Amino acid sequence: MTMLATQLKYDLIMFFREIFYLVFTVIVPPATYLFMGQLFGGETYGGDLSYVQFYTPSFIILITFSVVFFAFGFDQVMNRSLGIEKRISVSPVNMRTILLSNIIKSVIITSLGFMLITSIGIAVYSLKISLADFFSAYAVFILITAALLTISSAIYSFFKEMKSALVFSIVIFQVVLFTADFTVPVAQMPQFVQWIANLNPIYHINHIFIDVWNGLFVLNTETTISLAYLTLLVFVSVLLVSRRAKV
Amino acid sequence: MPNIIVKGLKKAYGNKQVLKGLDFTAEQGEVIAVIGKNGAGKSTFLETLMMIRDFDEGTVNLFGKDVGSLGAKGVRELKKDLSIVLQPTNFYKNLRVKELLELFRSYYGKSADVKATIRDFELQEHLKTPFDKLSGGWKQRVALAIAFMSSPKLVILDEPTTGLDPYMRDVLWKNIIRHNKEHNGTILLSTHYMDEVERYCDKVMLIHEGQSNVFDTPANLLAKTGHTSINDFYLDRIGEKEAVR
Ligand SMILES: Nc1ncnc2c1ncn2[C@@H]1O[C@H](COP(=O)(O)OP(=O)(O)OP(=O)(O)O)[C@@H](O)[C@H]1O
Ligand SMILES: [Mg+2]
Repeated sequence: MTMLATQLKYDLIMFFREIFYLVFTVIVPPATYLFMGQLFGGETYGGDLSYVQFYTPSFIILITFSVVFFAFGFDQVMNRSLGIEKRISVSPVNMRTILLSNIIKSVIITSLGFMLITSIGIAVYSLKISLADFFSAYAVFILITAALLTISSAIYSFFKEMKSALVFSIVIFQVVLFTADFTVPVAQMPQFVQWIANLNPIYHINHIFIDVWNGLFVLNTETTISLAYLTLLVFVSVLLVSRRAKV
Repeated sequence: MPNIIVKGLKKAYGNKQVLKGLDFTAEQGEVIAVIGKNGAGKSTFLETLMMIRDFDEGTVNLFGKDVGSLGAKGVRELKKDLSIVLQPTNFYKNLRVKELLELFRSYYGKSADVKATIRDFELQEHLKTPFDKLSGGWKQRVALAIAFMSSPKLVILDEPTTGLDPYMRDVLWKNIIRHNKEHNGTILLSTHYMDEVERYCDKVMLIHEGQSNVFDTPANLLAKTGHTSINDFYLDRIGEKEAVR
């Protein structure tokens, strides 16, 4: 128990010392959220939602995605390829405790992202959300974080080399940024981009979360397909992770 | 009862047979060097003893326990008495030296003494330096300090002095020998410096062609083979076998 607490403390310290992680998680997404609001704050989105209603949940998802992919997934590949994981594995510590610490760290940071974006929304764009919607949004957000942690573990388990994992992370960040309705609406983009968007799990997660945030979530054909697709991905990821763990 | 008993150890990577039936024993308190060509299998052998590498055949017995038949929990229990320096060695790069000591103390539990370790390894100067800002020699020094912090019964060091200047090598060896004297710990290390073998080690094992080619005290070895230095012996032994093939 003290071991878990110590590990968690240093995992968090290491996150906040890593400029690279900070840029992609707590600097770029909030800055973009602020900046875009200045440019497009007056318009309506996805039917009749205002900028804050549409983009506040969106940017929470963007932060969550980048934390889970950079500071959780990529970080694991880095520790593996540099031999840090090996060094720890020869000490009398259960590797599950290390993983658990890493998971708790990620949830703490994504939750901070959730609060950060919400606070900016309230302070700058007079965001309003009912307490009930806020709590259900947080609950769904935790589920989303869990799903992303699982998917990220599965994807990064394929990487042995830090460099390839880094290139992959940056490319995937760009793809997700442009095909998940974080910036230019996907509906206004060419057909092939819309195709990619439909395969992009973050696109589905983003839309479900926007609905939940605004208390508009209903089960219809579209959301059912999204949920089924995400469930399938998580299921496949669990299979991959547990198979890798045995090898 | 010896600390380590290895019998008929075999290990292949794919169809490349690296260890071909290696035998080895170590008593409490011995300092033993493992030497051999690059790629001879030194790291493979040491990592097998560290229980982080599977082997194909043979038995490995540490402190009277058969490693092959231990569960995950038994292995963790054994690791408490074991410390290592890996080749190459790496720690979380942006943690400071002091923080790394604290973190590893939490892995080993209360037995580890951070203050004494800082004193013994004279780490004061760089306690606040992040690990990746340290020079190569200092990294190695920190790695050794962490390895000795838990006062282990067995220390396994894979080329702990490679890349260090003669002074730093001396500092590290003094620490190794002091630990060995104070705790009567067994120390097993690989090295490419034959002068270290002569000066500091109780025994030396040469791994050649997958087996323990020679396993004796340096003095005996020189007396038996008539060489004036371990270096000469090494070149002679390795060179000869190469020429025959
Ligand atoms: N994980 C691995 N997969 C495949 N081959 C490996 C692996 N690890 C080591 N080998 C091979 O096994 C042989 C022995 O390697 P090992 O690292 O044990 O040698 P070594 O004696 O420590 O060499 P050095 O003096 O260079 O450190 C080498 O030929 C190496 O290429
Ligand atoms: Mg080696």
